[in-house]
Amino acid sequence: MNKVITINLDGNAYQLEEGGYDALHAYLETATARLQGNPDRDEILSDIERAIAEKFRTHLGSHKTVVVTKEVAAVLAEMGPIEADPGEAAEPGASGAGATSGGSGHAPTGEQRAAGHGGTPRRLYRIDEGAMIAGVCNGIAAYVNIDPTLVRLAFVLLTILWGTGMLVYLVMVIVVPEARSPEEKAAASGAPSTAQEFIRRAKAGYYEAIKGFPDRKARREWKRRFKREMCANTDQWRYHWQSYWAEHTPFHPGMSFALPLLSLLHGAATILWICVLISLLATGTLFGLALPANVPVWAAALLLFIAYGILVWPLKAARRACYWGLGRPSWAWSFVFLLDAAVWLAVVAALLWLAIHYFPELREAVRSIPSLAHEAAGDIQAWWKGR
Amino acid sequence: MSVNEKFSAIRKGLLEFLVLQIIAAEKVYVADILKQLSATEFATQEGTLYPLLSKMRREGLLDYEWKESEAGPPRKYYELTAKGREQLRETLEYWGRINGTVKKLGQK
Repeated sequence: MNKVITINLDGNAYQLEEGGYDALHAYLETATARLQGNPDRDEILSDIERAIAEKFRTHLGSHKTVVVTKEVAAVLAEMGPIEADPGEAAEPGASGAGATSGGSGHAPTGEQRAAGHGGTPRRLYRIDEGAMIAGVCNGIAAYVNIDPTLVRLAFVLLTILWGTGMLVYLVMVIVVPEARSPEEKAAASGAPSTAQEFIRRAKAGYYEAIKGFPDRKARREWKRRFKREMCANTDQWRYHWQSYWAEHTPFHPGMSFALPLLSLLHGAATILWICVLISLLATGTLFGLALPANVPVWAAALLLFIAYGILVWPLKAARRACYWGLGRPSWAWSFVFLLDAAVWLAVVAALLWLAIHYFPELREAVRSIPSLAHEAAGDIQAWWKGR
Repeated sequence: MSVNEKFSAIRKGLLEFLVLQIIAAEKVYVADILKQLSATEFATQEGTLYPLLSKMRREGLLDYEWKESEAGPPRKYYELTAKGREQLRETLEYWGRINGTVKKLGQK
């Protein structure tokens, strides 16, 4: 079994076997080094990448999605070594043997392999995309490569149990920088820097290309195409099971109407959850429904969190699907997005306002949090001792 | 220096000339150039050709434009500039003179 690595070449995603990736990486590193000081370096590199991409495509079909190591080696041999100064090019008549030795010259040695995988060191950033508050949990999740929901749960637990979660969160909002540039975003989840480098160069090629188009129509078409392809690839890295599911949902015009409706449901569910939570914290019952005898209030609250998560997940996924399903960002897209956000905010704000004004339990609930935390701590201590 | 190495030096110098000639005939993209060269002694590879083309472009001999291809992404199609044509004309003329000289010299 071989590990497969997804890369972006010339705006398209390709899957390579790990050995092939290493060879390609080494080839491009060598090329970059040899072109050092060449004023057209970036352009030549993107030309080279485009050519490699084109050759890769000939090795792929509808049932074959991965370029195997052998094929990568063949493609690189076909490309031939990069000649730094064409004036001093070695043997242009590349005989079969010459080409092969050129290609295998770039085959990765153990050392290059290690260096190639050094990649970008992973760094802790806040990630705004898909964030609940400021992206702290998202960033941590990307950093340790787990589901952000788990991190959020941990934070919520910390907040409930000792109140430290909130404090830690606030400190992290201030201390941890937000990932803004693509490089930082890559570093946040440790994606190979080369992939980001490819994007950068693909973009450079894009601006070059834009200049080359004679009329505005052709330019616009190229722009649209380019964006579409870039989006497809970036998303692939941001690969997330929710968005994955969503991306594969075909678009339906009803979605633009469904979105605010889903938001409404989502908002309502959130409010319902908050109300139940308040009721639980304030009276120790679920709207008068007594808890089973041996379930402490804090455990019930925790269960409530989980139940809420499970209940809301399909709603969230459906909303996501609608976002993605709406297709390319356009004025209509922004409009729907705005409407959706407004509906969501309005519902939550209105219901919260109502809750605060008409349910005195809310204030009691807030007041009961410290004693509840105390109780939870006591319970855990007792459990620890009695173990 | 072996005979082959000497030839290789000559080929190196002539590659640019041949590329000018190929591009002069029609707008081409890199794979076309490689294909036309592949049947000759001047067979070369992308690794050599791309740096050469970008150097020639920097010197103002040729330019390219993006064109959609029937399958896959747009490609760079190269064409000669006025300066490139002028250089090709000069080189052809010079080549003719050298050829003449090579044939003429040493004949009694």
